[in-house]
Parts: sequence; structure tokens; C-alpha cells
Amino acid sequence: MNYPFWDVPHIGSGWVIGLIAIYHIMISHFAVGGGFYLPMAEAKALRENRKDWLDILQKHARFFLILTGVFGAVSGVGIWFAIGLTNPEATSTLIHNFVFGWAIEWVFFIIELSTAAVYYYTWGRIPKELHVKVGWVYAISSLLTLVIINGILTFMLFPGNTWLQVAGSGQEAHYFWNAFFNPTYWPSLLMRILVCTALAGIWALVTCSRLDGRLHAKLKTELVRWSAKWLVPSFALMPLALAFYLWQVPESQRSLLQLGMSTMGTGAFTQVTRIALLIIMTSGTIVLVVYFFAWRTPEDFSFAHAIAVLFLGLVATASGEYAREALRKPYVIGRHMFSNGIRVRDVARLNQEGFLTKSLWTTGPDKLAQGEAMFRGQCLACHTRDAYRPMKILLAGRTRESIGSLLKILHDYKPDSPYRSFMPPLAGTQAEVDALGDFLAAMISTNQTAAAENPAKPAKVAASSAKSAP
Amino acid sequence: MSKSKTKIEKQEQDDLLSRRGFASAALGGVGLCYAAAVSYPVYRYLSAPVEKSAAAAAVTSVTPPDAVKLPPGKHMMFKFGARPALLIHHKDGTWAALDAVCTHLGCTVQYETENDRIFCACHGGIYDAKTGKNISGPPPRPLGKYAVTVSQDAVVVTREKQG
Amino acid sequence: MKSVFASVFNWMDARLGLQDLLHLAQKKTVPVHRQTFWYYWGGLSLFFFLVQAFTGVLLLLYYRPGPEAYESVRQISFDTNFGWLIRSAHSWAANLMILAIFIHMFSVFFMKAYRQPREFGWWSGMGLLLLSMVFGFSGYLLPMNELAFFATKVGLEIPASFPLLGAKMASLVRGGLDVNEYTVQRFFALHVVILPALFLPLLGFHLWLVQKHGNALPPEEEDKPEAQRRTMPFFPNFFAKDLAMWLIALNILALLASLFPWELGPIADSLKPAPKGIHPEWYFMSSFQVLKIFGQWFPGASGEVIGMTLFTLGLVLWILVPLYDTSRKSGERARNATYFGLLALGILVVTTTWGYLAIR
Repeated sequence: MNYPFWDVPHIGSGWVIGLIAIYHIMISHFAVGGGFYLPMAEAKALRENRKDWLDILQKHARFFLILTGVFGAVSGVGIWFAIGLTNPEATSTLIHNFVFGWAIEWVFFIIELSTAAVYYYTWGRIPKELHVKVGWVYAISSLLTLVIINGILTFMLFPGNTWLQVAGSGQEAHYFWNAFFNPTYWPSLLMRILVCTALAGIWALVTCSRLDGRLHAKLKTELVRWSAKWLVPSFALMPLALAFYLWQVPESQRSLLQLGMSTMGTGAFTQVTRIALLIIMTSGTIVLVVYFFAWRTPEDFSFAHAIAVLFLGLVATASGEYAREALRKPYVIGRHMFSNGIRVRDVARLNQEGFLTKSLWTTGPDKLAQGEAMFRGQCLACHTRDAYRPMKILLAGRTRESIGSLLKILHDYKPDSPYRSFMPPLAGTQAEVDALGDFLAAMISTNQTAAAENPAKPAKVAASSAKSAP
Repeated sequence: MSKSKTKIEKQEQDDLLSRRGFASAALGGVGLCYAAAVSYPVYRYLSAPVEKSAAAAAVTSVTPPDAVKLPPGKHMMFKFGARPALLIHHKDGTWAALDAVCTHLGCTVQYETENDRIFCACHGGIYDAKTGKNISGPPPRPLGKYAVTVSQDAVVVTREKQG
Repeated sequence: MKSVFASVFNWMDARLGLQDLLHLAQKKTVPVHRQTFWYYWGGLSLFFFLVQAFTGVLLLLYYRPGPEAYESVRQISFDTNFGWLIRSAHSWAANLMILAIFIHMFSVFFMKAYRQPREFGWWSGMGLLLLSMVFGFSGYLLPMNELAFFATKVGLEIPASFPLLGAKMASLVRGGLDVNEYTVQRFFALHVVILPALFLPLLGFHLWLVQKHGNALPPEEEDKPEAQRRTMPFFPNFFAKDLAMWLIALNILALLASLFPWELGPIADSLKPAPKGIHPEWYFMSSFQVLKIFGQWFPGASGEVIGMTLFTLGLVLWILVPLYDTSRKSGERARNATYFGLLALGILVVTTTWGYLAIR
């Protein structure tokens, strides 16, 4: 059955996942990096017998517990709701393959949540060494949740050839480890750990910035600089990790980076390349901004400065996740399932039997209703009507015939088709493709009639300009 | 107390000296990356006309492989220098070689056999398949046209003299 | 390596007195208090202006005014390597520059930094803002696309509604009764020769005044005894933070320019009907909407005249604020000036929002 596809106006359902996921990543990566920051800082403070450090760390631990335990955990569940609605087929594939993986992750997740609470609430109440050990248990278990989920995330970029050979045979679960340790697993894990350490430093800077630099000049200087150092490994190793990652990305996806954008001329890179370059630029900005704001004058480092660094971190993280998603085009699960949930091996059958045979509510004679079902089923996963990748603007000014030519190119999906590298094929019988064409033509023309029916404002402008030109 | 303090300070100073060298090298490196990020697009922007004229001067004629075997009614894509180009053997026996870069926003155009016309999928531009004239849609200019010389064993495509 | 630097520096220093400049910069201080954040906005405006000058010169290399204007911008955007990026950066930085100047202006107003001896700073700043808006208005037409054509047409309604000479002036600016290729040529001359010639000396004057008087303290800081006030040296502390702000600004500009490239749209066609919801740029939206409101309230052209007069009066009052809010003590006049500022900000926000809602 074709699911009643989730139609989110203006931003599209993908961005609902995106917004939740970016928010989640800012917190969840901190949950891993901060898990190491806390026991390491605590151990250092105990070693050097620094009571003042411990007071700050306790405050940081409370902030950490609330942020990760509440906002991080809740947004993680939010991703589940969103992906199930946005792409049920892909979610189903993930569950069928990785239900065991998620079970493992939940074990570590429960340990993580409980030790975080234990760590904060036993502060100063249990022997110091034991308390640091609780911190380490937390750190290891939270790292392990990342180790597990990373396998599932990277699987979607490219599941690896072994798994692809058995996909659809019912034997997939036997190849769990092949799918899990897919080609981009290790570089992606390395990159994510680096992001974790950087975010641990950035969030720690937020806590440190609340200290009054005049009253606690020395303490603030030490803490700000020590936290700023957490950004160093990330920025020193990130270029290498990125190169490793790109080396492991399948050639077909890597070529997306070089593809000249079809809507822009020379010298323009694809969206994903521009974003990749922006990530590098933003990382450079973070280094310099932390140096100028925090390292040089730690006493003056204010909350506003910390928020600026956090904002840049958000830009870099968001760009990174967007670029990773965009690199999967035209698939949602590399070479197995297209972005709109159609399995690669099903396309030929759908072309023969029809895409709408599974949309039983559209079997009536209404062609526009069929066209809309086609649109919801095959376009809505990436496009919206009027805002994000808007059909009304992308198709603006085209005749029905011209829309037909475009749909034919998408339907034929010839090897030299310019759309092949970033769009799925259009599946369905000729009648269904025609219905979609009629629906799209009607959609863009309603846009024009709306403008024609509502001439009040332009007329007013025209009238007032006529007045001034005597 | 004061003794340990001076010790820490001294250690900090030593650290600072080696650290300062590292920090200035790292910052200099980031600064250089910035300079490169700004100057690369600017350089390419300034050199655009140079690149164009060099590309135009580099190739004056091309012999598309096996073009002589192309039956009437068929077409093929080939490269004229770095640019994609389209060679059409029309049903009436005439040949046409056209630049395959849409004059609107630079997408690659394609020949539609059934409609005997050239179509750009990006924004629906349509060109005449013989002259390259822009017939409908957004393209502002006709496609560039090449001269075709057909001999016994090869089809040679050359740049037409301007004007 | 280091000794080479040192000897070059010494050679220059002996001739140019660099050491004195450095000392001056180190001696200069910037006040530190809760409102220090607003001190960065003047520098940010300057940064965006520098971006404008740089990208503007680059665009000048390929842009051709007159009848070919649209075609040349199309070539820049689609045929020239990275032309789209340069053009996008220019358009985005223009908007960000005016936004930064507005924030700078309101922060100066509410911190009462226009009081003696900084009156000329305020006036030169207002001059720079008005020139920037003319920069924006003239630059907007240069691509000669549909949007620019109609926005300029509508925008010229504002001067045209001035009583007596308004319509004549507007035609003179247009170089015709309607926007045409002479308008582009004129706006081009204005944009790249006349405005820079006015802007640069005024900017120099403004910066010299800032250097001469230093940063103004907001009233609540001035009330504090000297010992409780805090400062930081301009160099290197404030300078380093300024640099960081510039980097963030550059990063945001790169993000906007590369991910949201400025659209070109279809070529201007005076015979076509205006597209739906045509409107001037956001920084003219308020005055545009005020004119529209008054045009609806009063019959004929009188509404627009009344609206324009009120708007001009408000602007004159705004510019003259250093003359009637003079007291250092926070008294009734100072409070009234603050209320005036809040009222102006309120009207600006409300009419701009109203304008955008009205065109939807």
C-alpha cells in the first residue's frame, strides 16, 4: 500500500526531520563529548586539589544533565516520529535490519541516562574516586550509543555491496554486520567523535562564560583556556577525517560534488559542494573566533561571546548534516531505495503494473486525483508546492507539453539523463505519468489564475504610477 | 604558597613559548585558508574571459568517432574541445552540428527524434534541429552552430567563421 | 625571518611614525559595560561597506549599463566563473550593511551618544545612512530585471509626490517619463561615481570624529563614579573582538550568498503588467506604506503630499535630536527623546510589517 503521504506545507516533511535532527545532534554529540569532559576535568581538579574548579564542574554537570537528559532524549524520540511519517518504507527497512542494533543501543542509552543522574546527584556524597568512575561509566556508555547509531546512519548512505546482493531476499538480517560496518562507518565515526569533543568544549565555554571575570580572574582564565583546548583535536584532524570519508564514499555519490548545478552556470558548484565548503569555512571561523574571544582575553569572555561560538557550531553542524543527507541523492538508502521510498528493483514492475495499484482510493475516473496521488507519492518526498524546492516556481512558465517532456525524461531515466544523478526515476504507467502532468499543469496554472483574479494591488500601483506621469 | 605560584607561572611561561609558536602557525594557516577561499573565486572570476578565449582558440575542428556510420534520422553527442556538442544526421540527408549548451542557463540540451527538435529539460527551452534557432521557452539566443564537412571516411566538424 | 620583519618595520617606522600610531591605538580605550555589544555595529557597517566596494569593483569589470544591462548581468550570473557568487555577495552585503547601519543608529540614539560633543558624529552618520539608501535604490535598478523595473517605478513615486517640483524631479532622475535605459545609465553614474565621491569623504569625517571623541557612555554608566567604570584597551583587546565579529559577519555573508544566490528573474518589459505584489526593498517599505495609507485616507494626490510632509518632518526632527536633547542629566527632555525614539522604531516596525502583509 502507498501510505497517505505526510504533506507538510512550505518546508516539506524532510525539513521536519532536519530541524529536529539538527537540534538533537547539537545536544546528543555534546552528551558524548561532555561525558568525557566531566570526568577528565573532575580528575584534573582532584589531582590538583582545586575546590573552585569542582564547584563550576558541578554547575556544568547539572546543566549537562538537564540539557542531554531532557532535551536530547526527547528530540531523539522526535526523530523517530518524524522519519516514520516522512518515509515509512525506509523506516521499515531500517527496522527490519537493525532491530537488534537498536536493542543494543537502548541498553547503553538506559545506562547512559541513569549514570548521568547518578553522577550529578551523588556529587560530594560518595568517595571521590568512585564518583569519577561513575563519570567514566557514563562516558563509555554514551560513546557506545554513538558507535551503534553511526552504523545505522552510514548504512543509509551506502549499505555496501554484500548487503545489496541479498537485499529483498529475506536474508538481510544475516548480513547485519556487513550492513553495520559499511564503507563509511569508520570515517564517519571518527568525524562524529571529533565533533563530540569540539561540542564538549563549546558547551563548556557557555558555562564558563557565566563566571564573573573580575571576581574570579584566574579561575575563569584557566577554565576558559582548558575548555577552548577541547576544540583543538577536532580542527587539527577534521581535514584528514573528511578526506578519509570522501575517499570511502561511493564514486557515484562523490561525483555529486563535482556536478555543475543545472540551474546555474559555470563556476557554480552544487548545493552540496557549496555547503561542504561552508563547513570548512565555518570551522575556520570557529577557530579564529574562539582564539579572539576566548583564548586572548579569557576574563572578558562573556555569555554573548559563548552564544556566538555556539551559533557558529550550529551552522557548521547543520551544514554537515545537510551535506550528508544531500550526498545520498537520489537514494534514501544507497542504491537500494530511492528518496521517495521506491525500491530500485521495483521500478520496472511499477512501470508495467502501475504505481497507483497500491493507492486504492484513487481508482476512480478522476485524473486529477490520480495525478495528485502520483505527486504525493513520488514528488512530495523532496519538493513542496510553493516554498522549499517549489514545483510552482521550478515549473513556472511551462506549457503542458513542456511538462510532459520533462516527465518523459524522468520516466525514461536514460543513462545520459541530466537528472539521473540527483533525482529518482518517475515510476508508473504512461496513463499515470499523463495524470501527473495534468495535475502539475493545473497546479501551476492555479497559481497564475490566482494572480489574475486578484489584480487589486498591481492595479493600484499602476494607477498611482499613471498619476505621476502626466 | 608564593613558591608554588611562581613555579606554576614559570611552567606556564614555558608552555606559552612553545604554545605560542604552535598557535601562531595554526592561526596563520587558518588565515591563509581564508585568503585562498576569497582569492580563488576572485581569480577565476577575473580570468573567465581568458579561459573562454583560450578554449575557443584551442580547438578548431573535431572528427567525432564513427560519425560517418551514423544513419539518417540518428544523432550523437560528442565533445568539441571541452564543450558538449550534438551531431544530427537528418532524415533528408543533411547534417547539423550544434553546440549542446543551452544559451539560457547552460544545461546540456538533447535531440528529440520524435519531434525533430532540440529540447532543454532544465527550463523547457526548444530549438530548431537544423539551424539551432531558439523557437520557444526562455533561451535568449540560438545555439552555436558548427560547419559539417562530410567525406568518404569521416565527418569533420569545424568552427564556423564568425560574422 | 623575524629580524627581516623588524628591520622593515624600523625602516618604515622612521619615516612614517608607525610606533606613534601603535601607541595611540594602545592608549585608546573602549568602555566595558552591559551595552558594549552595540559598539561593534559601527565596525560591522564599515566591514559591509568594504565588501561592497570590493565586490562592486569586481562587478564593474563585466557590467554594461544602458540597453545591454540585463544581458550583462545575465552573463555575470550564468556565464562568468563565480559571477553569481560575486553578485550575490554584493546584493546580500548591501542589505546587511543597511541593516547594520540601522542597528548602529538606534543604539546610538538610545545610548544618547549624539550629545555634546558628538553632534557632528550623529549628523554625518545620518548622512551616511541616507546615502546608503540611495546607493541601495540606484543599485537595485542596475540589473534591469522585471522586479527592479517595477520597484524603481514604484519607488520614484515617493519623490514624485513632493509638492511643486516633485514630479519634475522624478522625471529628471528617470531621464524620461518612464523607467528606461537612460534611467539605468543615470543610476549607474550615480551609483559608481557620484555617491562614492560623496560617501567616502563623509565616512572619513565620521571615522575621524569617532577617533577624536571615542566611544560614548550610555547615561547609566555616566552616572557611575569613575572608579566603577571599566575599560579595555582598543588595541589589541577590542580590535581582536572586532576582528572576530568581522569574521562572523563574513561567514554569515558567505552562507547567505552561496546558499541563497540572488535571483535574476525575467528581463524588464514596460508593456507587461506589473507582477503580483511588487514592492520596494525592505528599507523603503515603511515610507512606501505610509504614503499608501495616507493615499487611501485622503482624496486625490493630497494624501500622498500629507504623508510625505509628515515623514519629512519626522526625519528632520530625528536628525535635529542633538539640538533639543542636550542635557547630560537624565531629565524630562531626555525621557521625551527616548520616547520619540521608541515611537519612531515602533512606527518603522509596524508600517514595514503592515506593508509586507498588504502585498501578500
